[in-house]
Amino acid sequence: MAAIAGSATASFARPVKAVNVSPVSFAGLRKDNVSFRLQPVPQRFTVVCAAKKETVDRVCDIVKKQLVLPEGTEVSGASKFTDLGADSLDTVEIVMGLEEAFKITVEESSAQSIATVEDAAELIDNLVSAK
Amino acid sequence: MSSTSSSSSWRPAVAAEVILSSKGSALRSETRGMVEEKEKQSSGLRRRWLVDVAQWRPSPEQFQASATLLPPHDRPAIARFVREDDRKRALVSRLLQYSLIHHALGIPLHQIRINRTLEGKPYLQNKNASFPSFNFNTSHQGDYVGIASEPLCLVGLDIVCISNPQRETALEFISSFTSYLTDHEWNCIVSAGTPDEMLNEFCRYWCLKEAFVKAIGAGVGFGLQRLEFHHVNWTNISLCIDGEEARKWRFWLFKLDDMHLASIAKGHCEDAIDSFKRTFPDVVVQEEELHTAVEIPEEAFTFWSVEQLLQLHD
Repeated sequence: MAAIAGSATASFARPVKAVNVSPVSFAGLRKDNVSFRLQPVPQRFTVVCAAKKETVDRVCDIVKKQLVLPEGTEVSGASKFTDLGADSLDTVEIVMGLEEAFKITVEESSAQSIATVEDAAELIDNLVSAK
Repeated sequence: MSSTSSSSSWRPAVAAEVILSSKGSALRSETRGMVEEKEKQSSGLRRRWLVDVAQWRPSPEQFQASATLLPPHDRPAIARFVREDDRKRALVSRLLQYSLIHHALGIPLHQIRINRTLEGKPYLQNKNASFPSFNFNTSHQGDYVGIASEPLCLVGLDIVCISNPQRETALEFISSFTSYLTDHEWNCIVSAGTPDEMLNEFCRYWCLKEAFVKAIGAGVGFGLQRLEFHHVNWTNISLCIDGEEARKWRFWLFKLDDMHLASIAKGHCEDAIDSFKRTFPDVVVQEEELHTAVEIPEEAFTFWSVEQLLQLHD
C-alpha cells in the first residue's frame, strides 16, 4: 500500500498499489455473517503440509489486532474468520495486513478458499516459499 | 403489536407521478378491485424492520431461552460466534427472518423453511403461489439488525456502523479499499472535507455497493469496483455497472443515527445471479408491475424491540 505521507497541500493523489491486487474475499466472510462463498470450495486433492506454527501464530496475532478481540479470546488454526466476527471491511484489512506482514500478494482465487486461520497460514507459507 | 417508526434524515426525491402513470396501464387487463386487492396483499409483503440490539441485554439463561425458539439447526450456527455481540446479532437476525415471514405470509413458524444458496443467500423455500418472487435480506452491524422484504422485485439491505479506525487515520483506512471504488467515487470521497466527512462518504458508497450485491445474491467477489454510484446530495441515487446505467435499479440511503447508515437496493429479478435466480420457480412478473414495485418510494423503518419479537414466537 502506498504510504500516505502527511501533506501540506490538499491534493490527494489516489494511492496506487505497487502490484495490482484484485478484490479478494475470504470464503464465508460477510458482514451479516451469512456464509457467502463465491463458488463451491474446491476439494483439495493435493497433499498440503500443515502450516508452520510460527505462521499460524502470526496470522492469529494479525487477526486478533484487526478484529480487536478481547484478551483471552481463543484464536487458533481452526478458528473461522466469520466466527471471530470479521465483516467484509475486516476481511479486506486482514488480507492487506497479511500481505504487508509477509511481503506477499494474495490472488483473489486463492483468497476465496480461505475460511480459517490455518487456511490463511498455509496459503502464506506456499506464497512465501514460492518467492 | 405496537411498533414505532423511526424517522430517516433524508427523503429520496423520487417522483410520485412515475408510480401513478404505471398504474394506469396495469388497469387495462384487471378490474380495479382485483388490482387493489393484490396491491394490498403485496404491500403487506413489503417490510422494513429494525431492531436496536444494544437495548437487549439478556442473561445467559434468557439468551439460551430465546435461542430455543429457533429451529434446532440454527442454534449451533449462532453458538459458533466467539463474541457475545455477534451471537446476539445472529440470533436477532434469525428471529427477524422467521417473524417477518410469519407476519407477512401467515406461515406457521414451525413450517417455515429458510434455506441458503451456495453463496449463502437466505431464501424462503416454502412455495408461494401469489408472490413467487418474494425475497428478503437481513443485515447487521453495530447496534442494529435489520430486515427488508419485497413481493415482486429484488431487495437488498445493508447497515453500516461508522466507527473511527483504531490504529490508522481515516484516509489510511479508506485507502485500503481503493480497489473497490471507482475513480469517480474516490474523488468524491477525498473531496468530502474533513477526515470524518471522508469516512462518512466512504461508508455510504460501501453501504450501497453491499446492498446491491446482497440483493442479487452475490458477494464481495462480484467486483465492487464495477459498481459506480451517482447521486444528488444522496438522493436520486443511481447505479452504473461496468459503465452502463442500471435503469431497473433504485437505491436509498438512511441515517439511522449519528453512527449508523442503512441502504436499500431494489431491482429487477432478472439481475439475480444464477444460484439465487434458481430459487424463484418460473417467476412471471409483468414489467409494469416490477417497475412500479421498484419505484415505490421508501418509507421509514419500523422499529421492534427484541421482547416484541420474542412474544411473536410464543
